[in-house]
Formats: sequence, structure tokens, C-alpha cells
Amino acid sequence: MLKKKPSAILNQDKNKENELIERLIENKDLAYETLVRQYSVRMYTTARRFFYTDDDAQECLQKAFIQVFKNISSFKKNSQLSTWLHRITVNEALMMLRQKKRQNTTSLEVFSQRYNEYGERTVFADELGNNLEDTLSNNIEVLFEKSEAKLSLSEIIYQLPEKYCNVILLRDIQEMNTKETAEILAVSEASVKTQLHRARLLLRAILEQEDRASIESNWKVN
Amino acid sequence: MLMIKRLMTQHMPGMLTCEEVDGFLYDFHEGNLSYLEKFTFKLHLSMCRECRDYVEGYVNAIRIYQAGFIKTNQSTKIPEDLMQAILKSRTSK
Ligand SMILES: [Zn+2]
Repeated sequence: MLKKKPSAILNQDKNKENELIERLIENKDLAYETLVRQYSVRMYTTARRFFYTDDDAQECLQKAFIQVFKNISSFKKNSQLSTWLHRITVNEALMMLRQKKRQNTTSLEVFSQRYNEYGERTVFADELGNNLEDTLSNNIEVLFEKSEAKLSLSEIIYQLPEKYCNVILLRDIQEMNTKETAEILAVSEASVKTQLHRARLLLRAILEQEDRASIESNWKVN
Repeated sequence: MLMIKRLMTQHMPGMLTCEEVDGFLYDFHEGNLSYLEKFTFKLHLSMCRECRDYVEGYVNAIRIYQAGFIKTNQSTKIPEDLMQAILKSRTSK
């Protein structure tokens, strides 16, 4: 979290930012160099939280800057430059993740916690009563394109149904708030909350099937 | 024990069922429950082992994947050749 700055300093920053944008629109080379040097670390930090490898994060950063260069003239002066850059980085990351996703795991969306007539918890299952444990052990290769039963956490999150993967990454990993997340994903705030809760429950259920210790250690070597 | 729990959740006013606990869980984790809601939520947990495990599993799962992602994905060194490539990509269109 950034500390609140006195408004005089904020204004000064804003003036500097406006000046920079002016010069970017005028297509001044030096201004671009300043932009890239000044903001790339912050954008890279965002990108890095989406991807497991440096290569992917670097590709994301580069793609994000290409969008920035293309769209700088449409940047609205009164908005915050860093917010705009962050938004572009997040959008590029989501686009890259979508392209990487090969498996169709939307079928996992039908799994949820089931309750009996007394409101007591029964199984984590689909509408037909097939429980997650059996489905995962029978179809783990199909669902996750993986021959061994053990998956790393990153693979599990990336291979969740797209809606679930996105809310987990934006809300829990990027730590963006519900409103921002809803805006980026173009859904309602209520749907962000519902999807996030379902995604977490699904992850909880999957993690319960896996040996947690091995997941945590897999994380580092993967 | 199950019978006692069932009696209490079904017949005591203000008592939550396990399903209702699930409905409160998201807001509990976000810290959005009112004082009274939190009280009834915790009251249920105090007498229901399944829900205690359930809530603990939920909170732990979040902690595990957050720690994994955020801790390991934190290198922020940007190679100079990438910087140059980015700058070049602007003019080489
Ligand atoms: Zn319960």
C-alpha cells in the first residue's frame, strides 16, 4: 500500500505526469525512455504475479508496452497514469492466459458443496451426485492434461475454469478490489463475489485431495 | 451428538445451519459481517466440528495459494536488453 502523500506533493506529481504525457503524445523519444524506465518495474511486478516464469512475465510486459505506445493518445489526462498502465498490463496478462489455456475445465463449474434437507453438509459433487474426488481421480489426465496424479498449485489455478482462474488471480493474487475486478472482467460485483467464493471452494476441495505438503514443495521447483 | 446439533440448528431461533454458515463464509473472510452475524456464525462453529474444519480449510487454501504465488513470483529485475527491445518496438512498426 502506498502511503498517503500531502496534497501539494500529489499535485506536483500530477503536473510532472501531465508533462510526461504531453511529451509522449508529441512523440518525444526521451519521454518514452522515461516512461519505460519509470513504470516498467511496477508493471513487471504485476505481470510477474500472473505467470510462473520470468519469460512469460517479460513477454507480458513487452506486449503491455506495445498497447501503451499504441493507445497513449487516447489516455485521458485526468486519470492516473499508473492506474491506466496497471489496467493495460492486467488485460494483456489475461489475454495471454486465455491463449495458453488449452484444456476445457468448465465442467468443474458444476461441482459445489451439497447439503441435505437439514442444511447439513454432505458431498462436494455435481448435480448427478458424482463427487469431485472420484471425478478427479478418474479424469485427472483429461482435465489437467497431466499423467501423474500430483499437480502443482500453479497448474491447478491456471487450469481452473476460466472465470474461476481470473477471479482468483485478480482478487486473491493481485489483491485488486471487487469493483476493479468487476470492471476488468466486465461482470457485476455480485458475480465477482459469487465466482470467487465458488473458485475458492473448488480449490479447497482440490487441495484436500492432494497432499498439501507436496503441493507446497512442488511450487518451488516447478 | 448429530441429533443434538440437528435439534439446535433446526429449532433454536437465530441458529444457523451448516449451509447458512457457508452463505456467511465469504463475508466472514472479508470482514464484512455485522456484530450479530459474526456472533451467530461463531456460535455455530463452536458446536459444529465439520464447519470448523470447513472454514479452516477455506482460509488455509487461500493462504497456501497466496503464499505460493506471491512469494515466489516476486523477482522484479528487468534485463536491460528487454528494456531496449521495448523501446525499439515503438519505432520498428
Ligand atoms: Zn455446521
